[in-house]
Amino acid sequence: MDKQLEKILRRVQKPGRYAGGEWNAVRKDWSSTYIKMAFAFPDVYEVGMSHLGMQILYGAVNEREDALLERVFAPWPDMEEQMRKTGLPLFSLESRKPVRDFDIIGFTLQYELSFTNILNMLDLAGIPLRTEDRAGDDFPLVVAGGPCAFNPEPLAEFIDAFVLGEGEEIVNELLDAYLESRRRGEGWREMLLRLARIDGIYVPSFYEVEYNEDGGIKSVTPTVGGVPALVKKRVVADIENVYFPTRPVVPAIESVHDRAMLEVQRGCTRGCRFCQAGVIYRPVREKEPETLLRHAREIIGATGYGEISLTSLSTSDYSRVRPLVSDLTRKHGDTGVNVSLPSLRVDAFSVDLAKEVQKVRRSSLTFAPEAGTQRLRDVINKGVTEENLMEAVTAAFSGGWQAIKLYFMIGLPTETDADLAGIVELARRVLQRGRELVTARGRLKVTVSVSSFVPKSHTPFQWEPQDTMEELRRKQAFLRERLRGKGLVFNWHDPETSFIEAVLSRGDRRLAGAIEAAWRKGSRFDGWSEFFDLNKWLAAFDETGIEPGRYAHRRYNYEDILPWDHIGAGVSKKYLVKEHRRAMDGQTTHDCRGGRCPGCGLCPTLAVKPYMAGGETVAPVQDNL
Amino acid sequence: MPRYRIIYSKRGPARYISHLDLVRALERSMRRAGLPIAFSEGFNPHPRMSFAAPLPVGIEGLAEVMDVEMTAPVPRRDLADRLNAALPPGLAVKEVLEVADNAPAPMAVLDKAAYIVHLDADDLPAPLFECTVEEFLALDKVEVSRRGKNGREKTRDIRPGIIKMEVQSRVCGLTMRLELKTGSAMNVRPEEAMTALFRHAGIPVDPVELEITRMKLFAGDSGLD
Ligand code: SF4
Repeated sequence: MDKQLEKILRRVQKPGRYAGGEWNAVRKDWSSTYIKMAFAFPDVYEVGMSHLGMQILYGAVNEREDALLERVFAPWPDMEEQMRKTGLPLFSLESRKPVRDFDIIGFTLQYELSFTNILNMLDLAGIPLRTEDRAGDDFPLVVAGGPCAFNPEPLAEFIDAFVLGEGEEIVNELLDAYLESRRRGEGWREMLLRLARIDGIYVPSFYEVEYNEDGGIKSVTPTVGGVPALVKKRVVADIENVYFPTRPVVPAIESVHDRAMLEVQRGCTRGCRFCQAGVIYRPVREKEPETLLRHAREIIGATGYGEISLTSLSTSDYSRVRPLVSDLTRKHGDTGVNVSLPSLRVDAFSVDLAKEVQKVRRSSLTFAPEAGTQRLRDVINKGVTEENLMEAVTAAFSGGWQAIKLYFMIGLPTETDADLAGIVELARRVLQRGRELVTARGRLKVTVSVSSFVPKSHTPFQWEPQDTMEELRRKQAFLRERLRGKGLVFNWHDPETSFIEAVLSRGDRRLAGAIEAAWRKGSRFDGWSEFFDLNKWLAAFDETGIEPGRYAHRRYNYEDILPWDHIGAGVSKKYLVKEHRRAMDGQTTHDCRGGRCPGCGLCPTLAVKPYMAGGETVAPVQDNL
Repeated sequence: MPRYRIIYSKRGPARYISHLDLVRALERSMRRAGLPIAFSEGFNPHPRMSFAAPLPVGIEGLAEVMDVEMTAPVPRRDLADRLNAALPPGLAVKEVLEVADNAPAPMAVLDKAAYIVHLDADDLPAPLFECTVEEFLALDKVEVSRRGKNGREKTRDIRPGIIKMEVQSRVCGLTMRLELKTGSAMNVRPEEAMTALFRHAGIPVDPVELEITRMKLFAGDSGLD
């Protein structure tokens, strides 16, 4: 294989994506290791290597003596062309073994627009796309996890088993069960049954979906005994002592996030009503600063990175962030190691933090007020006021920054043109503040970036329709016309990709044919604007008799059975209804981190608790209404 | 500040990384090795390293040359051992030399490089005869054109840059040894010279099939190593 691969690598743009041999990559003896699992990231190397979850699972599995985990990423189209031309099958980076020769392939589902890449990778591996065509034969078990597993239905026909929630514990249970099944010589079905009995594993082929005449879902029922009607996600209760990778693989070629990642906490309970991550990573669990300092030292020693990033959904919320930042800078600053913060809360405190870590203010600071008026920010429960924003940008401009980026979402529930006008006004006010404070006026820049709202499963907005593409385009035009002028830059996301994202994220099993058809028509790397082609998707829907608008633009009723209702993210449906109602009334809900539990139902259901560094916690209310 | 010349090889998986990725990999390796790297002043401090000649992606290098500055002296052996223990697969230190503070940068003195170029039998449609190579070398002018950065086609004569060109072996295809001008004064790339040779011989060869190894870098007649 190596000679053939070498010849191919001479013909592709970035051969380093496929060459392997990175520092800290684990190469185990193939024939003497019992279970061989491939971790498949359905995007290009530079994206996949930036993903902390991959590094966590990689380390967790490779720590075991009886198992190995090797990586494989989606080949870029130039590589795919070479592979198809020469018949080279999809292979892993470590031992360069065909993916087909592994026992288990685990896909991570980070965004819906990577679904066609999953089919493409299976096909390049020479593995039949559908579960039913793999059953019984000697094909690898195909599992998938990650955020999009919270509505697994569009992929139900392609994936044998979904893993819900945090993977570091359950991956070991999965491997143990697989081993046990093999030791007993069980068949395909018995093995899947064994997996389906593990908490957090959903085997879609054991569930039958019935539809109503109007196209809605009538019922989802288990077809075999012993599998749960509601599959609940897994949460790591003890984040402090769970495995954390301090010897992550260092990418060979520059990656999107090419730095050490220190996860300071997991979960964010601010409760933004559009945000799925806020639901699926609940509750908040902070790590102790001493543990983090030790991890930081180990990671830097083991990787040689010159930058360490404090990652989490909202790092400025970490209760010990300030002392942690000072300690890290003090301990590692003189060896040329910088600290960086990925996401900034909209307030002066966060800007102060940024000041502490960024000695040079060359890049811009980014804030996400998400909506242009207080009314709409209350609807979405974004606890940010105009005052917060003005304080933050004032601190930023006086602290030496000249460029500010503001992130907004358009198409949010209840949005009117007045809210759009609010975005314009906010941006102008920020620009005005910049004029007052920035001396190098020529460099002053305020960038407004708008994305389109995509209703996501398990959020209070799961029932809400997405705006049509025409409406989103009109709203973009509205903003574009008004956000002109010196110092203002306006960026927007393509509503076409958001539309497909909405169809897939609210979809059900009937989409399988359309996804396959889109892939057959050449859809790949749909998340990349240079490859995304709406027409391929529309033709695919047409061919398979799917009306995509029914998925994206439909308003669900509270009583409707949603395609993902048998998947438990932990937050109760009653709470989501309550939150949706509060949204419509413009009422905000506080963060449980502050000590009071608004009763989302998750902690009692999953037997976990929020945990703050130093041992503080929150008393979760038992009955949520 | 103490300055060291590091002679290293870039092979295996490492030969597929770009020069910028190599710089990053070396910086990280030196940090892992705990070496006292000196950083440049200014906004974005980076390690004080300077390279003789970036190696294009895909080409192997057996004796590449870089200079690096440290904030404190490190015994040469020690430097080599520690760095070797921290380098990713494919990169290896072969030798470490001490360089005077005021010595010119390796890039400034480099003017020649030796290459081995191999072509599989399958990729060579017709035999290349010794006399054809001699004939080629007897030409006064070898014009090649290359699209410049501005998109315009530029033609230049590379003949003065081809110092040596000889068949080394015919086992499993064709292996040739080249010596080419390399550096700021004149720079001829091995695939350029080979393409010109095959064109002269009338043999259609796809230059992408050439397996190229840079053997050594020279300043005049003496090796930089
Ligand atoms: S149950 Fe209460 S404390 Fe637990 S995550 Fe939900 S709101 Fe927070």
